Amino acid sequence: MNRPAFLASFERFAAPGRLVALVGTALLLAAPMLPWAYRPALDDMTFWFAPSPLQWCGLALTVVLLACLVLGWVVRPQGRRSLGRRLNFNRGARAAAIALLAFVAVVLVASALELAGLVALEPGGWLALAGAMLAASGVLTLPRGEEPTLRTLRSPAWLQILGIVLALAFVLFVAAYGLDLDDPGAFFSFGVWAGVVVWVAAQVGLLGWLSTAAGQNRSVLVLSAFVVAFVFPFTQNGSDANMSIAAGVLIFAATAMGLNIVVGLAGLLDLGYIAFLGAGAFTAAVLSESAFATIGWSPPFPIVVLISGCVSALLGLLIGSPTLRVSGDYLAIVTLAFGEIFRISMNNLDGTDGPNLTRGSNGIPAIPNLDFFGFDFGSPHDIFGITIGRFANYYWLLLLVMGLIILVFTNLNRSRIGRGWVAIREDERAAEAMGVNTFGLKLLAFAGGAFLAGVAGSVKAHVDVSVTPDQYIFLESAFLVAGIVLGGMGTVGGVLVGATVLKLLPEKLRFFEDYRLLTFGLLLVVMMRFRPEGLMPDERRQLEFHDDDEELADEVADDVAAHRVGSVVEGTSAEPGSGATAKGDHR
Amino acid sequence: MDLFLQQLVNGLSLGALYALIAVGYTVVYGIVQLINFAHGEIFMVGAFGAYTTWMLMGAPASLSVGIALGVVLPAMLLGGIVTSVTVALLMERLAYRPLRSAPRLAPLISAIGISIALQEAVRLFYGRIPGFPDSRRAIPFPVIEGITGRTVQFGGLTIQYSALFTLGALAVCTVLLWWFVNKTRMGRAMQATSQDADTSRLMGINVDRAIATAFAVGAALAAVAGLAHGLRYNNIDPLMGFLSGLKAFTAAVLGGIGNINGAVVGGLTLGVVEAMATTFIPGQFGSSAWKDVWAFVLLILVLVFRPQGLLGAKVVDRA
Repeated sequence: MNRPAFLASFERFAAPGRLVALVGTALLLAAPMLPWAYRPALDDMTFWFAPSPLQWCGLALTVVLLACLVLGWVVRPQGRRSLGRRLNFNRGARAAAIALLAFVAVVLVASALELAGLVALEPGGWLALAGAMLAASGVLTLPRGEEPTLRTLRSPAWLQILGIVLALAFVLFVAAYGLDLDDPGAFFSFGVWAGVVVWVAAQVGLLGWLSTAAGQNRSVLVLSAFVVAFVFPFTQNGSDANMSIAAGVLIFAATAMGLNIVVGLAGLLDLGYIAFLGAGAFTAAVLSESAFATIGWSPPFPIVVLISGCVSALLGLLIGSPTLRVSGDYLAIVTLAFGEIFRISMNNLDGTDGPNLTRGSNGIPAIPNLDFFGFDFGSPHDIFGITIGRFANYYWLLLLVMGLIILVFTNLNRSRIGRGWVAIREDERAAEAMGVNTFGLKLLAFAGGAFLAGVAGSVKAHVDVSVTPDQYIFLESAFLVAGIVLGGMGTVGGVLVGATVLKLLPEKLRFFEDYRLLTFGLLLVVMMRFRPEGLMPDERRQLEFHDDDEELADEVADDVAAHRVGSVVEGTSAEPGSGATAKGDHR
Repeated sequence: MDLFLQQLVNGLSLGALYALIAVGYTVVYGIVQLINFAHGEIFMVGAFGAYTTWMLMGAPASLSVGIALGVVLPAMLLGGIVTSVTVALLMERLAYRPLRSAPRLAPLISAIGISIALQEAVRLFYGRIPGFPDSRRAIPFPVIEGITGRTVQFGGLTIQYSALFTLGALAVCTVLLWWFVNKTRMGRAMQATSQDADTSRLMGINVDRAIATAFAVGAALAAVAGLAHGLRYNNIDPLMGFLSGLKAFTAAVLGGIGNINGAVVGGLTLGVVEAMATTFIPGQFGSSAWKDVWAFVLLILVLVFRPQGLLGAKVVDRA
């Protein structure tokens, strides 16, 4: 990261700067006690000495800022292993202060927009803004220091597990609380706050430690993540509205994860992936017990799932086998054309333009709910006194599908097949020269991805109750690709985050709906220009996009080496202090 | 037989439209091996540019044939070309040039982004210009006296003037393009760049400018196609670039992508195939609802049996 030279000259004023920042922090601590607006806007910020939830969020962040400022002053970076070197509090303070400024500004602007204008703001709001500005200008003088090296710290297993659990608890809190916010401004502000917390954690170095901890306790991470996701419906007090959104997000994320195999691992840009989801959904609909189903055969659901997956995979083979032989660009357009063929065909198979299979643009409505051994997915159930509604039932089923897809993804990723895919993605000719069966592997990725989409589609048909061709248009495919690109191609966490953001934001920001597509289009362009590897990339992938970054190259080489010997001497690669010296040796 | 000839003429005029757009794909692909996914939107922008010019001229209705063909039509053509070329050059500069050395997935995804953004920008904001029609629906294209609605009878055939305009435009553009690529310095610089960009740079060719020129040439032809589309279908809408762009890409692949003559041949072939499919395929699958499907099936068949295209340009694979 380059920083402008003139900022470095500010560092002379670090001591007074810290003082200014502390004054700003004091103001920020006081501000939530005052009213910010004269009428409830985002939430009720009109009381004295009674902070609203959003004000509490700001307060929590202010405490973090205060802690960073004080600790950065008290804990000097002495010695290689000292906490001062491990954690970079100055960076944390900088991130927290700048982010607080953004948070306060967003809250104030959103309130002013919802109320009559700036006059509607009370002194508390202005006080908070002044405090945030003081704090932000103060922290600019703090020396940045080195990158925090916490990720190489050896820590006891219980601490790591505790960290993971706390992080996941935070995620659960964000999801449960955020989904409950009905006001778009409040939701947006809360989203900003959550993002800020993550950013500050990254700057201090905590995120690095967490990712190391997660890497060393993968099973704990997976298990607790699953538990968190499983528990989520219980936080909804029987309301099914949010669960329907959550189910939609899961379907989208599961589909994106399937596409992630094709795009992220094998590097094949599939612009018609939604057609495979649609093929699965239509197959399931046609084979369901709906009165409108056009085939009078309705096997039990597990068989339908398999058939749906196979139909999609067959279509994938049909499209993939001719196009995967020629250059990758063709694939993008041919899959796009295939998506159109699919949509048009589903529209036309209505009895007048073709045989009646899908009932044309009306689609197949009234698909009955699933029923497993007497467990009816359509009716609410009471568990521990909390009502679990229809969407919550499907949410759990979708969670299973999601788990299956992630399992397939991670296992393939770490197998011989996955390494072949990565080799193809990075340089197809070199891979072929090394004896990788490029065509076979590409076809496997393509058909396998299609299979998973078909499976997801068969569940989607039952969740949505009806299946129509206009749910499966090109734009949906583009969103899927956008979700993958946003999060980080080829990763699990990144794609989950990307898909969730892309699906959740439009649900909550309805006023924004008109500009949704425009924003996504621009987002894709900007991402490709400035951060093509996504928000949460893996390092290897990052290197592909920044192949002149030598430091990164060394890190990746270290990691690869560590992985190779890692199983024998777990943790030796995390030798304290290896960060600085080892890198020097490599050059 | 009359039916066959009539469909042949219809197909050729439709194909001429595809061919004009397809040249843009092929020229850009030939020089930077990039499928300019947003080219369909350049075509759409061209049509809107032509329409805007007409609005700026005071939306002249029912003029004499002389003024309509001598002043209004050329002005609309020019306006469309200027708009398309400007947008294409901006797009090349801002979105593609910075990604030239990136992995090839990056420019392709960027192109999808531009495509969506351009569609939406026109759909949302064009109608907000005071006095301009709502662009969320199809906008009726201006009536050009002497072309719109007029037909000529030739034996048993009925040919629309707009079809003649499209075919004529294709003929003129092909000749001009041939001259430009083979006879001018810039055209030869483009050829050199497409063969080997690094060596061309060593030989003193401004590679960046050659690439930008390729985008501009493609955009100009797309604008001509946009005007022709308006005359043919009598309306334009912000989403019209998607399907036409896809068809034109099919045409470019059919002829052999990277080969300019191939784009023309491919476009005409595709148009004829589409027209014939709606007439001569028996039963329900011959209805016009399926014509797009047949076009794309053709694309897939070409890739299976003759991936280098009809005119056999070598498929450059620099993956």
